[in-house]
Amino acid sequence: MKIAVAGKGGSGKTTIAGTLARLLAREGQKGVLAIDADSNPNLALTLGLERERLDNLTRIPREVIERDAATNRWVLTRAVDEIVREHGVAAPDGVTLLLMGWVEHAGAG
Amino acid sequence: MCRSHAAVRSVIGAMVEEWSRPAVIDMEAGIEHMSRATGQHVDMILVVIEPYFKSMETGARVAELAREMGIKHVYAIANKSRSREDENALQQFCQQRGLDLIGVVPEDDAVKTADRLGVAILDHDETSPAVRELARVVEQRLM
Repeated sequence: MKIAVAGKGGSGKTTIAGTLARLLAREGQKGVLAIDADSNPNLALTLGLERERLDNLTRIPREVIERDAATNRWVLTRAVDEIVREHGVAAPDGVTLLLMGWVEHAGAG
Repeated sequence: MCRSHAAVRSVIGAMVEEWSRPAVIDMEAGIEHMSRATGQHVDMILVVIEPYFKSMETGARVAELAREMGIKHVYAIANKSRSREDENALQQFCQQRGLDLIGVVPEDDAVKTADRLGVAILDHDETSPAVRELARVVEQRLM
């Protein structure tokens, strides 16, 4: 099951997303990913990662995708399992957090 | 749309598509960011709404967009409900707009305290009313 959690800023969307990810894992779901797609990332905190770690979390590097020349579509350059293994952050209850590494530069276009 | 933002959404979409296990995606805030790249690879969208008209109205628009994208399960989940009146208003709105409201999470001091301390609500108080409602949603609607 792939679940997107949407809502306005301040609605508690991130708290709900993080808590649901851990509760799914506690119910026995294996390999639950929690993906932070918000440009104001707070998912790490609501998942329960220690505050001291927040500034130094592994992020998904830009190089995991490239434009496919033939189709002009973005494609992954490596298998997703490998990306998760190398760049995922272990969170409580066996959840793996994925943070995008270059979101902070997005404003510059 | 800015190129790097487009790339972020594409990489999330591609990863979600190829991952064979469960995933929960904390989407960008705001209806304007709903992207097909992410949307087309999810099975379910939970639209978080609060018990006031503008929030419910925005939520209904997001739900509509999600349905247009072809997302199979489109649900609303209410947060910060303070009273029976709030709950009634949420249920009435969702019924009128054809939204399936799968949970009503109450306003919860434990959530505020956890926020203030910078810890997860599950690590602060896993028996709090908000957690109990989310656990019920997981057991009854997400498993």
